[in-house]
Amino acid sequence: MSIFADKNTKVLIQGITGTQASFHVRRSIDYGTNVVAGVTPGKGSSIHLGIPVFNTVREAVLATGANASVVFVPAKAFKGAVIEAIEADLDLCVCITDGVPILDMMEIRHLAEKHKTKIIGPNTPGLITPNEARLGIFPENIHQKGRIGIVSRSSTLTYEAVLETNRAQLGQSTVIGLGDDVIIGIDFIPAIEAFIKDDDTDAIVLIGQMGGGFEEEAAYYYETLDAKKPIIAFVAGSTTPSAQKIGYAGDIVAGGKRSIQYKKEILKNSGMIVVDEINQIHDELLKLYPPHV
Amino acid sequence: MNIHEYQAKKILADYGILIPEGKIAYTPHEAKEAASKVSRHGPWMLKAQIQSGARESGHFLGKRGKGGVRFIQRKRDILPEAEEMLGEILVTNQTGAKGRLVSRVYVEAFKNVYFKFYAGMVIHRISAKPTFLLASFVSGSKSILQRAEENPDTVLKLPIDIDKGISRSQVRSACIFLGLDEKSEPHLKKFINRLYKVFIEKDATMIEINPAGVNRRGQIFALDANMSFDDNAAYRHPEIRKIQDDYEEEDRALKAKKFGFKYNDFDRGNVGCIVNGDGIALAAMDLIKKNGFDTSCVLNVKGGVDKDKIAAGIKIIMTNPRVEGILINILGGFLRCNLIAEGIVDAASEVGANVPLVVRFEGTNKDDATDIIENSKLPIIIAHTMEESVDRLTLAMQEAE
Repeated sequence: MSIFADKNTKVLIQGITGTQASFHVRRSIDYGTNVVAGVTPGKGSSIHLGIPVFNTVREAVLATGANASVVFVPAKAFKGAVIEAIEADLDLCVCITDGVPILDMMEIRHLAEKHKTKIIGPNTPGLITPNEARLGIFPENIHQKGRIGIVSRSSTLTYEAVLETNRAQLGQSTVIGLGDDVIIGIDFIPAIEAFIKDDDTDAIVLIGQMGGGFEEEAAYYYETLDAKKPIIAFVAGSTTPSAQKIGYAGDIVAGGKRSIQYKKEILKNSGMIVVDEINQIHDELLKLYPPHV
Repeated sequence: MNIHEYQAKKILADYGILIPEGKIAYTPHEAKEAASKVSRHGPWMLKAQIQSGARESGHFLGKRGKGGVRFIQRKRDILPEAEEMLGEILVTNQTGAKGRLVSRVYVEAFKNVYFKFYAGMVIHRISAKPTFLLASFVSGSKSILQRAEENPDTVLKLPIDIDKGISRSQVRSACIFLGLDEKSEPHLKKFINRLYKVFIEKDATMIEINPAGVNRRGQIFALDANMSFDDNAAYRHPEIRKIQDDYEEEDRALKAKKFGFKYNDFDRGNVGCIVNGDGIALAAMDLIKKNGFDTSCVLNVKGGVDKDKIAAGIKIIMTNPRVEGILINILGGFLRCNLIAEGIVDAASEVGANVPLVVRFEGTNKDDATDIIENSKLPIIIAHTMEESVDRLTLAMQEAE
């Protein structure tokens, strides 16, 4: 097992014919991902990368039984594409596109609340279950199959977290980048919930960022759980007041507290193991799972 | 994207929000003429137009006393007061010590109000909802941020359903929160609804009216206005792009934006970072700080696919005179490491790699990238983990001292 996607997930690619999409989809197919369809409006009934292309998500789903999509379409076409995925009741929609207007994403979230589709991203490297499914643009060669779940709000630090689990020789069950944007689809909570239920995940690495309040919400949720798995958490930006220049300015007003220190306290109080530097993750993992001598 | 107060007020007025009569002036004489036009006998408000809050409590560089927002009672004082502002540098607690050049002043008829309050529209990220904020008037050095942080109960937050807009009960609770009488309620309702409409239709990310003022008739006026817009939605707002003031953006940030990248300058430190994500930037800054150095600027080349643009972006950091060491940390996914490597080599060959430069690649096409750097024979240090890259850079910088 793993969470959200595995070798049985039937994946369709929205915007499959684009240059970047082609580059990454080729690699996903080579990795073993079960890519069953592509969607590019106006290019239906053609074949691209050996995959049948359809005009709409609905057609693709009817013909192939696809239950997850990866979105590569340009930002201007993004809202329409994701609405199609939601209305076709896909289980999962992983959004790689960056530069999505905030308002478009607010509308998508509003619609998604009434449907079952889990939206990941936008502006994310995606999701990968090592050796099974690569939904996105993760550099697949750094991944090793294993028992640590990773969920991250920072695209680039996701890779660092992966390397840390490799260093501890524990590997990853599933890795999820939640996306770097102001408004994202799912936050930490559904991922934590799924990892805790997943038999193949022993522990979770959570990578947070300043602002947003997502980490605090995750902590409040984690605190209330009866059945827990260890979570090792890292929040970037602790030493640098000027780091406040990075991120959404309305955050503090909307969210309340601004200090990373405060965020870390809350995570710690909820029972998570909080590290000050990202390269301490493997030390904590080794404490939890000492290598057999 | 940010705009000036007078531009923001123009937008508010287009949507039916009341603003005091005002005119923009680029010279002291224009200011004097503007004063006569907006009000016969005054008094007036004279307001320096820079994109910063706390203008009133700021000061002009090299001068004592008065700030960038002034109350003026006699018409003959307009000209000398405008002279004191125009062409001068206004420093506030938000501009940093460098301050900002005042190229224009806004002359307004002074509005008599009996009650002032703070109104804002921001985005609550977790619920993905626009959120209307109310607080009592925030003046001087204490910002709404501090207020929200120290005393969250003093800020009323009303999340808005994007299908339905503001509800009646929300307007009611806003009215009660502010302690306004009944005759103000319909005015407050209009004010909030219009503010929300601007927010949505203009793809704003933040609107602040600090203060809004209520007159004896219960009407509500925007006495100040501050707006930011979503860069990602700029393509559908040519009218806002047109009024962008390039002078307000730092040269380097502006240049980086041209190449599609994001540049942040922190007015201190001496390490330049080139990264491909905000998270990795923050983590690198933490490690740099731990080693006793400070980051002076960060270039985020996320999403770059064109090597010439990458080279041009890297030059922005390399030519920053503050920078005494450069750290490049790239975790390739979408972005391919080899493109960055080619960009580094091009940029370094052109401007000379005259400060220590450490690169670390991971992910997509990492090996190609390493080969490119090695074959270039440039004095570039290659590291394999983030901590190693920071350690080697700070060591090299210590040795160079």
